[in-house]
Amino acid sequence: MTADFTITKGLDLPMEGAPGDIARTVKSKGDISVYPSEYKKVKLKLLVSEGDEVPRGGVLARRKDQEDFLLRAPVAGTVKSIVYGDRRALLEIVIEPNGSEASESFTSYTVDGLARASREKLLGILKDSGFMALVRQRPFNIIAEADKSPKSIFVNGMNTAPFRPDAHVLVRGKEAELQAGLNALTRLTDGPVHLCLSADKKGAGDALTNAAHVNVNYFQGPHPSGNTSTHIHFLDPILPGDVVWTLRVSDVIRIGELLLTGVLPSTQTVMLAGNGIKEEMRGYVTVPTGTPLSELLEGALEEGEMRIVRGDALCGEKTSIGDGVRFYDQGFVVIPEDRERLLLGWYAPTKEIFSAHRVVPSAWLKGKTFSFGTNRRGSYRALVLTGIYDKYVPLDIMVDPLARTCIAKDTDEAIALGILETDPEDFALCTFVCPSKTDFGAIVAETLDLIQEEGF
Amino acid sequence: MNKDLKETIEKKHKEIEPLFHKGGKFEKLYPLFEAQDTFALTPPDVTDGRTHVRDAVDLKRVMFTVVVALIPCLLWGMYNAGHQYYQGTGREAGSIVSMFRGMWIVMPIVFVSYAVGGFWEVLFAVVRKHEINEGFLVTGMLFPLTLPPTVPLWQVAVGISFGVVIGKEVFGGTGFNILNPALTARAYLFFAHPKNMTGDIWAAPLDGTTGATPLGIGAAAGAQGQNVVEVLQREGFGFFSILGGRIPGSIGETSVIAILIGAAILIVTGVGSWRIMAGGVAGLLGTAILMNFLPSGMTPDGDLLTTWTQIPFMYHLVMGSFLFGIVFMATDPVSAAQTDTGKWIYGVLIGVVTVLVRVTNPGFPEGVMIAILFMNVMAPIIDYYVVRAHIAKRNAYLRKFSYAKG
Repeated sequence: MTADFTITKGLDLPMEGAPGDIARTVKSKGDISVYPSEYKKVKLKLLVSEGDEVPRGGVLARRKDQEDFLLRAPVAGTVKSIVYGDRRALLEIVIEPNGSEASESFTSYTVDGLARASREKLLGILKDSGFMALVRQRPFNIIAEADKSPKSIFVNGMNTAPFRPDAHVLVRGKEAELQAGLNALTRLTDGPVHLCLSADKKGAGDALTNAAHVNVNYFQGPHPSGNTSTHIHFLDPILPGDVVWTLRVSDVIRIGELLLTGVLPSTQTVMLAGNGIKEEMRGYVTVPTGTPLSELLEGALEEGEMRIVRGDALCGEKTSIGDGVRFYDQGFVVIPEDRERLLLGWYAPTKEIFSAHRVVPSAWLKGKTFSFGTNRRGSYRALVLTGIYDKYVPLDIMVDPLARTCIAKDTDEAIALGILETDPEDFALCTFVCPSKTDFGAIVAETLDLIQEEGF
Repeated sequence: MNKDLKETIEKKHKEIEPLFHKGGKFEKLYPLFEAQDTFALTPPDVTDGRTHVRDAVDLKRVMFTVVVALIPCLLWGMYNAGHQYYQGTGREAGSIVSMFRGMWIVMPIVFVSYAVGGFWEVLFAVVRKHEINEGFLVTGMLFPLTLPPTVPLWQVAVGISFGVVIGKEVFGGTGFNILNPALTARAYLFFAHPKNMTGDIWAAPLDGTTGATPLGIGAAAGAQGQNVVEVLQREGFGFFSILGGRIPGSIGETSVIAILIGAAILIVTGVGSWRIMAGGVAGLLGTAILMNFLPSGMTPDGDLLTTWTQIPFMYHLVMGSFLFGIVFMATDPVSAAQTDTGKWIYGVLIGVVTVLVRVTNPGFPEGVMIAILFMNVMAPIIDYYVVRAHIAKRNAYLRKFSYAKG
């Protein structure tokens, strides 16, 4: 069963630095890190200490609230150091690989076997391997709770944000893994599994468009037509009490890999993009999980002060070269830190800096791509202009009232206005276009946290 | 040249900046430094949070675009002030002479508005330790354009003080006010100093001769049961002469063409809400046409009903301050309705109330100021019901899916 949707609201940023179609491999030279801190709001109990030997897939930690949910090592080696942050938060476990082939193994399946596997068994493997963390749950975009039964599962195969990896590139050579992962997902829900793809790729004829046992849906239109919230809203919106699970195609491939081989995948594919990356290096890199970014980005960065963003430029996390490739990573965008001050720039008829507002001349240049830096392009102000934000949110959400409600911390009203359907990333374009430089994503995120704490 | 100038400014600012920081000599005046600094050069700040790139637009550009849109009105206002001056004194003068005379009359009003209003703006910024807001650029220009050129300068000062302090700052500054500050200032003068402000009488400067506006003449003629259009024609206010704008009135309101140029700038740049403007015009015309169906003249009982109701609808559009108000005042996004549907309702009701006040209220010949202020107060209620309707529609959409699931 397929369905087509056309989204009209939104905006594609005409941003330079799109990833090329190049795929390469980077081998890790030194230590590998595991970052327990990337599991937000999850408390972990550490089960190893410095100097311990672990095999590939060896247990490092377990969740305090779910004892069978484990965190495992992607590589065999010695625990070299454990890094703590404030209030002894577990930040990083550094493993020195010892080249050993020793590996923990899990039940392995065939592609077809997965379509008949038992839900309990699959959930058991996912939790035991720690790969359950790749399955996310809405509302709140948290790690899926295995005791909830989702009414449907959404797999996102789109990349409208600047920039995310193209699922059709990721899936090349991983066709069996993708179908294996999708088959496993169909066992986790009584409802449908929705695979959402870009309508531009309808004729691709690859493993995605031909995926079996799932509903393939096509979305057309500007960003955020590729955001999972958009897909959920049009296909199966979240009603009070509903739970849906969401994954990205890259996650499905990794889950498929785990279930087909029975060993913990030790590598992942990440995208490098943005005009802070040398053009010939923009593309897809298969790299061991936990490799330091200094190795991943070796020789790839342009000269000058650059900002490395985990995720995409509209909704991502600023990081630095001292960080590593984390479990969730599927791409990094590098853009220049732009601190240049422009003479009378607030009214100069600029054509070089992109704007979506017709009041800036550059907005009239259709089809031109722009170099984007990190400059804020103005000072923080009170919210003054109204009615501009709704043009960038295809969900049935009124952004102005929702933002004001969130600022007033009125959680009941925020729920009535539809906040549970959203994720902070859905408001990234509102933040982008705001003349008062308001961070709508942060405002919504804070309220979602509050609702989650209070319960609803 | 640009580059050198930029570097010089950057260097100078770096030199004097420590004086304005904590512990510096002029620590308290930091907002002034900040305003000046970010006026000359865009801030060097980079993004924080999760959205790493930003649009080139900022509030300075948005606000200044409104000021640019007001320039045609200001220029015409100057010319017309000079023109009316020479008309009033019975002397012949060419357009250039009129323009210079008008500048001489109008520029001090604008200057006082900016200087006194700016003083309050800076004072509040310093005391509250926030940045100086660009919104004042608009208020400082809008307010003088709503005044008759004959207004005494001290009244301009008192009016803008009231508008900025009571209309805006007591609520917390730009973005938090309920009423449009410029219109609040105008309303204050209107009620506190009606002698100079009725909008009925236009006193030519210096020698005190007076000229009446079409609204004043029309209302008076209507009350006597005369044919309003004829009376207006006789007084030199035919439809096209009103349209042409060489008539007495507030500085910015007289030229329909200048206002339409401003409206075009606001709509094309997306700064002003076309929904409010279109709604306002529709509401005004609709109500004016309905008014035409009211009985007028002598009733069988011998009562005299005003014939003012019978004036053709297009006169309402061009007379008085309606166009100026709906284009520049009603579209102030802070005091207007915020939702798209709300903007339509808000605009239509401004048009409706304007005609009601003009025609049925004997006290005020002009209704647009009262209409906009009234709807400023009502805007949150309109939005409240629009949001309720939205939530009901959302729930209906969601329920459709739950039924589908059985």
